[in-house]
Amino acid sequence: MNLLEVKRLHKTFGGVSALTDVSFTVEKGEIVGLIGANGAGKTTLFSVISGSYPPSKGFVYFKGTDITGKKPFEICRRGLVRTFQVVRPFHNMTVLRNVTAGKLFGKDRIKDQRKAEEEAHRILQFVGLSTKAYSPARELTLADHKRLEVARALATNPELLLLDEVLAGLTPTETSEAMKMVKEINQHLRITVVMVEHVIKAVVGLCDKIFVLHYGRKIAEGTPKEVTENPEVIEAYLGERIEA
Amino acid sequence: MGRKTNLAGVACAVALLSLVPALASDYHVSVFLDLLMWIALVESWIILSGYTGYISLGHSAFFGLGAYFMAMTWTKIPYVLAVLLAGCSCAGFAFIIGYPFLRVRGPYFVILTLGLTEFTKFLFINLEIKLGGTVGRILMMAPSLHTLYYSVLVVCLAATGAAYFIKNSRFGTGLFSIKEDEDAASALGINTSFYKWLSFGISAFFPGMVGAILALRRSYIDPYTVFSPIVSFQVIVMAFLGGIEDVEGALLGAVMLTLVSEALWARYPYYYMIILGAVVILMVKFLPLGLFFPIRQRFFKESRARG
Repeated sequence: MNLLEVKRLHKTFGGVSALTDVSFTVEKGEIVGLIGANGAGKTTLFSVISGSYPPSKGFVYFKGTDITGKKPFEICRRGLVRTFQVVRPFHNMTVLRNVTAGKLFGKDRIKDQRKAEEEAHRILQFVGLSTKAYSPARELTLADHKRLEVARALATNPELLLLDEVLAGLTPTETSEAMKMVKEINQHLRITVVMVEHVIKAVVGLCDKIFVLHYGRKIAEGTPKEVTENPEVIEAYLGERIEA
Repeated sequence: MGRKTNLAGVACAVALLSLVPALASDYHVSVFLDLLMWIALVESWIILSGYTGYISLGHSAFFGLGAYFMAMTWTKIPYVLAVLLAGCSCAGFAFIIGYPFLRVRGPYFVILTLGLTEFTKFLFINLEIKLGGTVGRILMMAPSLHTLYYSVLVVCLAATGAAYFIKNSRFGTGLFSIKEDEDAASALGINTSFYKWLSFGISAFFPGMVGAILALRRSYIDPYTVFSPIVSFQVIVMAFLGGIEDVEGALLGAVMLTLVSEALWARYPYYYMIILGAVVILMVKFLPLGLFFPIRQRFFKESRARG
């Protein structure tokens, strides 16, 4: 069964079309890449799927049920959670309390504060933030902020994780560490991942399947090899070939 | 500081406060009554405004409604019941208006709650003239000063206890998440609308009861005095002085300002307001988290983080 199905999704902002007739499906257990130039509508698509904006037209099905237009907290409690491209940690809380919040409120939420904290420690260990558990989130570096963003999302115990550019702005070493983390999330925690990414090497290395958005439309889908060899995709990324 | 020392400290404070009427003169009892009233108001205010960051100027409205509830039911129903019902009706009123009110954020919410206070004030001014043909109400046969003192003490302890338990609960984590980033909080599964609404109602419950008791203490009330926005302003000044995110900070702020105003207000009314204004400006500039925050930073673990 499809874990996520997006059907003929449209989103307009005051007459400007951000998404036009976007449809795709994500199978359980996959890592799916979503690529496209700046302004292609990738983040808008995430926002519509996770409930931050209602779509103008179309449907989103998660585990077979219609979640179109539901609020973000309801969608999160069903097991679909997103991270934010511009990281949005709770700056004045400790790293631990940030993650504990996810445990206290997400899917299969643990209402006992102490138990939630124990679980949060386990997640911090998984993403490699254990030593900073008691630092205020605002004191972290960018790489650690991205880890925290992922940790907080993992704390909600998702089945489907939408990662919005978790690799952007990282150094090469940090990027390969983060790629390893995404792989572990998929393989060990058995969480299906949809990732928006500009780092093509990472997308090609990680994903089973890639979708390409261009000016709000899906112009290609397929395996990494198929997509990177698709002339339309190359054109969208590099511009039209000028015949001399 | 361990949990046990804290508990012992609280027990001592409560014991001392309950002995005040037995030991002190009526004048001092009424000073303490005033102090407890402000503590109750500030502690209940931080439950919404300190924890979620939605700064409310609506405390005056709930205080006034509580006072009028008492004025209209006094001698018709028992005292304790009237106080409780005053609190409940204010919480109920907050639940009704909270739904539309809490949809706006930041300065718009502040203005809206200021409007609420003005609205209730003029509503009651008109009601008084239309229905009673008067400007205010006199409450006869008020309970003794000591009865009133103990009732304010109970309300004060309840408000402080509520602020404390909420802060350290799952509910509190939700409220602080809303303050930090409402959209991110929602993305994490927090029902932000419901949490704000609930804390608004809880926060309104206590000023309703305080208003009801204080109506009897003053024995004469009119809309201008009980719905005065000064109540809200003073609550905010106290909270910002002490610290809007801490039960201890709110307590500290209320105690400091009540004592200082008791000492200076009568003697230097004009300078007092000027100095107070200057202090508030300096505080917001240099210690935005209140006087208690640096104290907490020094003595407590995990100190660099708020929340």
